Order: sequence, then structure tokens, then C-alpha cells
Amino acid sequence: MIAAADFHLSHFQAMTLFALLISIAFGFLSRRRTSDRVKYIIWSLFLFLLIGVGIGWAMYPFSR
Amino acid sequence: MSEETATGTATGTTTTPATPVDRQNNEMLAFAIGVAGWLVPGLGHALQKMWGRALWCFLTVAALVFLGVGMRGNVFSSEGGDAFGMLGYVADLGTGSFYFAARALETRGSDVAHAEGDYGTRFLAAAGVLNLLAALHAYEAARGRKA
Repeated sequence: MIAAADFHLSHFQAMTLFALLISIAFGFLSRRRTSDRVKYIIWSLFLFLLIGVGIGWAMYPFSR
Repeated sequence: MSEETATGTATGTTTTPATPVDRQNNEMLAFAIGVAGWLVPGLGHALQKMWGRALWCFLTVAALVFLGVGMRGNVFSSEGGDAFGMLGYVADLGTGSFYFAARALETRGSDVAHAEGDYGTRFLAAAGVLNLLAALHAYEAARGRKA
């Protein structure tokens, strides 16, 4: 029986991996030229992380 | 696919408007490409020789599914019961053949009591929705609406 490897990721690692994979897919689907794709991926990744961390901080006062 | 078909003549190449039959065949081909892209992530683009998109669609969907299962996310089944379970099933089914791979790989079941399992569930759902988006893109590209 084949079993998947166990992954133990922190919240930030999981968010970063998710953001990276989605950004790559969006970049390749929505842009044609390589330079445009790279710019889109970097910008999308940055916004994913910024908004993710921002929402995290916004929720901090209500977390306890 | 072009709305017009090229035909060669003795004096050179001219174009003639596509007939309704041509358009219907193109539509059927585009639909088949979309379904192929849903069943095997990236195949819809590969059939149109969009190699970069095909490769990265396959890799990103595969990575999301593999990570989701490795984090013990919930792979929903058709016996979900409530509306959220059914929505999760539809999202997971979006990965096409990878849905069955995910079910086969997740031998120990899901563990959504921990944050990791919850993240894993989101990874799996995102993989499905992303693959549906890619399949729709391949379908639209085959119809000549996107490139």
C-alpha cells in the first residue's frame, strides 16, 4: 500500500507554500511572456503574503 | 481554433468563412480538450502544445494534492451528507484523476482536529478549483478566445 509522506508545516510555511504554488499557476495561466510571468508571480506572492500576515495581525486582538 | 479555415488555390492561399459544421467540430474538439484538461491536469494545454502551461498546471496541482494528503486533509466523498460536504466533494473532484490518487494515498484518513489537517483540506480544495480553472482556460484557448 502506498502512503503519502507526512508533512508537519507551521502556519507560515503552509501559507507561503500555498501562496507560491497558486501564484505560479496563475502566472503561467494569465501571462504569455516569461518576463511578464515572473513579474506576476513575484507580485502575486508578495500580495498573498502581505494580505495573509495583515489579516493575521488584524485578528490578533480577538485571539484570546 | 480559427473562425476561418485556410484553403489553397492555384493562385495562392485564401481564407473562407468556417461552415457551421466546422464550427461545431471545433466546439466539440474544444470541449474534449477541456475534459482532458480536467481529467489529467495540464493535458488540455499539452494537446495544444502549450508546454509551459501544461507542465506547471500539472506540477502545481500535483504538489497541492500531495501536500494536502501529506497534511492529512479531508478528501471528501460523495456520501458527505451536508451541503458543505457536497461542495468539498465537488472541489476535490476538480482534480480529476488526482482525486482517486488522493483517496488511495490517504491510507490513515483525515485529521482535521489539528490545524495541519485543516490546511490540508484547503490545499486539496484549492487544487481542484485551480485545475477546473486551468481546464476552462484550455477550453477557451481551443475556441480561440484566449492564448
